[in-house]
Amino acid sequence: MSRMKRGRGMAASWYGIARTATIDRAGAWAELDDGGTGKVVTGVTEIGEGILTVLAQIAADEMGIKPEDVTIGDNDTARSPEAAHAGATRQTYMIGNSVALASREAFRVLGEEMAEHWDVDINDLRAFDGELWAEGTNHRMSMDDAVATCKARGIVPVGSASFTAHGTGLDPMDGSGNPWQAYVFGTQVAEVEVDTWTGEVQVLGIWAAHDVGRAINPRGVEGQIEGGVVQGLGQALMEEYITDKGHAITHGFAKYILPTSLDIPQINSIIIEDPDPKSPLRAKGIGEPSLVPTAPAIMNAIYDAIGVRIKTLPATPEKILKALRDHVPGHTQIARDNRSLRAKTARHGAVTV
Amino acid sequence: MPKLTMDAEVNGRKVRREIQPYSRLLDFLRDNLNLTGTKEGCGAGECGTCSVFVNGKLVKSCLMPAAKAQGTRIETIEGLAGLGDLTPVQRAFHKTGASQCGYCIPGMVMAATAALRENPGADIEEIKERLGGNICRCTGYTKIFEAVEMAKAVIAGDAPETVLEEDKVGDSYIGANVRRLDAPSKVSGRLKYAADMKMHDMLQMQVLRSPLAHAKILSIDTSEAEAMEDVVCVITEEDVPGNDGFGVFVHDQPIMARGKVRHVGEAIAAVAAENVLTARKALSKIKVEYEALPGLYDPADAMKPGAPVIHDYAPDNLVKHIPVRKGNVEKGFAEADLILEDDFRTQQVEHAYLEPEAGIAYVDPDDVVVVISPSQNITHHRHMLAEIIAKPINKVRFIMSPVGGGFGGKEDMIYQGMLALCAMKTHRPVQLNFTREESLIASAKRHPARIHYKMGLTLNGRITAISFDMLSDGGAYGMSSEGVMRKAAILSCGPYEVKNLKVDTRAVYTNNTPSGAFRTFGAMQAQFATESMMDMAAEALGMDPFEIRRINMMKIGAKTHTQQTLETASLDRVLEAAETASRWEKGVPNVRGAERDDLNGPDTRQPCTLGARIKGSRNETHPYEKVA
Repeated sequence: MSRMKRGRGMAASWYGIARTATIDRAGAWAELDDGGTGKVVTGVTEIGEGILTVLAQIAADEMGIKPEDVTIGDNDTARSPEAAHAGATRQTYMIGNSVALASREAFRVLGEEMAEHWDVDINDLRAFDGELWAEGTNHRMSMDDAVATCKARGIVPVGSASFTAHGTGLDPMDGSGNPWQAYVFGTQVAEVEVDTWTGEVQVLGIWAAHDVGRAINPRGVEGQIEGGVVQGLGQALMEEYITDKGHAITHGFAKYILPTSLDIPQINSIIIEDPDPKSPLRAKGIGEPSLVPTAPAIMNAIYDAIGVRIKTLPATPEKILKALRDHVPGHTQIARDNRSLRAKTARHGAVTV
Repeated sequence: MPKLTMDAEVNGRKVRREIQPYSRLLDFLRDNLNLTGTKEGCGAGECGTCSVFVNGKLVKSCLMPAAKAQGTRIETIEGLAGLGDLTPVQRAFHKTGASQCGYCIPGMVMAATAALRENPGADIEEIKERLGGNICRCTGYTKIFEAVEMAKAVIAGDAPETVLEEDKVGDSYIGANVRRLDAPSKVSGRLKYAADMKMHDMLQMQVLRSPLAHAKILSIDTSEAEAMEDVVCVITEEDVPGNDGFGVFVHDQPIMARGKVRHVGEAIAAVAAENVLTARKALSKIKVEYEALPGLYDPADAMKPGAPVIHDYAPDNLVKHIPVRKGNVEKGFAEADLILEDDFRTQQVEHAYLEPEAGIAYVDPDDVVVVISPSQNITHHRHMLAEIIAKPINKVRFIMSPVGGGFGGKEDMIYQGMLALCAMKTHRPVQLNFTREESLIASAKRHPARIHYKMGLTLNGRITAISFDMLSDGGAYGMSSEGVMRKAAILSCGPYEVKNLKVDTRAVYTNNTPSGAFRTFGAMQAQFATESMMDMAAEALGMDPFEIRRINMMKIGAKTHTQQTLETASLDRVLEAAETASRWEKGVPNVRGAERDDLNGPDTRQPCTLGARIKGSRNETHPYEKVA
């Protein structure tokens, strides 16, 4: 029997976007500011996922300016409108949409002035990358000048918005209810190599296909998928916080083992964009969902490689070795016997196996 | 203790400072020179966030006594490029999106810089190995590898500098790979996290934590600590002016133990002093008398009659039970040709954000209590703190400092209340920085789960019924347990339309470290079991894993487990995308790894053997040294 065994497994998953089984809301203010820049204020933003950049992209697109010209004021309960919390895969969906709507409002205020100034239909106004123009005319102006023009007419172009996601609570008896208005789905395939001498598992490849709705920043989405996969891999293979009568045994990073650069599979991300019909941005989310299928895909791959099904996480080398020892010799044979038994019982009616 | 005079050349400038003999190089850089780009992640040389160059060699500054760096040439993240400039490595990190929360990034940039300085031609395998001492919790390292390879090519002249610049956009910024706007501040070490901030006249706080898992507190005597020179205040639950209690769903946790401790590491008292050492010494002067109580460490024991009661309001130790019912499971199982029944367990998991908890509180001139911390939920924290300190809500202000990783672990208000109280008592700014050990024992974890699963299927692979029972250890306090149980229940049986199901999720109190919010909020525990069962069913029925999932998948119009009608559903698309991209070879999942033809493709990495790839190191590795 060769020492290194390879196998593949897959797992599917689903997830709900924004707060669960409740109404969710987020507020934002926006302003087209001097110099043709943008100002956006909202209650909570970045925890590392890249939402600041996503919000700047959204505001820039709505206001016709550049993302780097957007200033974001945030994260202060006394200086910014409420946007609830930073979690629950809700940032792009909740805060993204509220920033989009507030920015759209600020642009509309500017647009009304400019339409009158140029004597054109407001619906013919277009703006992108710091330029404002009216379709079918020769009217064109930098956003810098447009803001000055608007202000000279006595108007500060500001907007505000609140975005709502209409989840409902669950029935206390049967759990029925509409916990989210947007769902995402994902599927991952894992390829592993198991060292049957040491019990160590290396994940060599992950193919992660996730529906994220409209991807505002595909590179950022990939970053979320890669991070989620590696946290899932850590939970699958090595991480375990252990206590003994309430006392932590794993009280530092020497004991609590985390994935490092040498544990990382090649991660092949496939972004699927199934637009959300219920929100202006049509984006959904990816922060949490990317982690869900990783561990079962790896466990299914380990089974494919060595015929051992790990049902208690994590699949440490010790656990794999013990499982192999319990089955040796001919552990794959045991798995096959089991399978034919199951198939046989299935043919002869319902049996609990 | 007599001070030492430290002379060194730091980032090209000669410096001389008085330091404590016990100072680490990290303290010298952060405290004496205010070079806070160098971070403390673990204080034990395990994470690499404190990496700097000493005489050109990469070292972990938390492990080096400052005095050992006497007379050396030190280079930190702040000194890599000129002011306002970035090196190719830093620019490549910006370009590829290699920084997320950014807390590990200064150390990671130092390690990457070291790799390319020592071997400008290092291949990807060597780069990975040279980054092996630096932990990143956000990125999955992939974009970091890409950045180092990009920088390597630019430095070597193999790629033009323009690859580091922003990509051109078309006619919309939606869908464009705009570079992260916050990356320059992160790759340069300029961004100040809560522990990097300093305020004039600021005190340092330390927290006395319980050594016992379950005990009555008979008395707390703080008099000796309070009498110490440079101690400014000592607080216990007696100092709380309002309704004490916080939690994401049930407010069952006092900001410091109230008459009883429920887990090891629970806060009992806090000291604010002129410096951290005095505050730490003062903790040892606080006398606490305990009466040990029988502890509960197993969630199954918590449900037994006569089990010790952790919270008086919950005599059955139940935090939350969420039932979901649909159809008729008895009928569904009767229709099944095959019934599989099995048990699954998942472990308690630590968030391991590289930034340990930290924060500052002060009272502003308008009598507003201000708390600056990497809290993921400033909105709810403001509500709770206003109640706890009996202030109108607009007299409490929460500012979310840059979050060095959260993943749900910074949703609980486990220290902000103590900071606010100390600030109110002293009217001076107060700072608390957790150690890694403190963070590990005091912060919430992912709920460990035990799942009993029963699935009935027809011979053609259709699920007829599922019974799903999950028991989770909520630990000593409720935190997010209720919501985690709800999400686990709603998503439990996976993205499949199941006509008949009976789902129960329960979280119970024990005397273990509390469980709380953690990326996926219960969904991964539940779906790990479901996806394992799906493969076991596929094997028993002789079906391909994708096939059995397609037979059962939710489509548009499907009724979810909570009987919601789906207006969109994309599982068919993601299944097909993953199957195609991975070149999946169809077949029954019956241990066919040895016979597969779809393995070892160009979209996989090669297995790694530690120590084999750095030039000059020995290539012959003993087979037993092969590591994952």
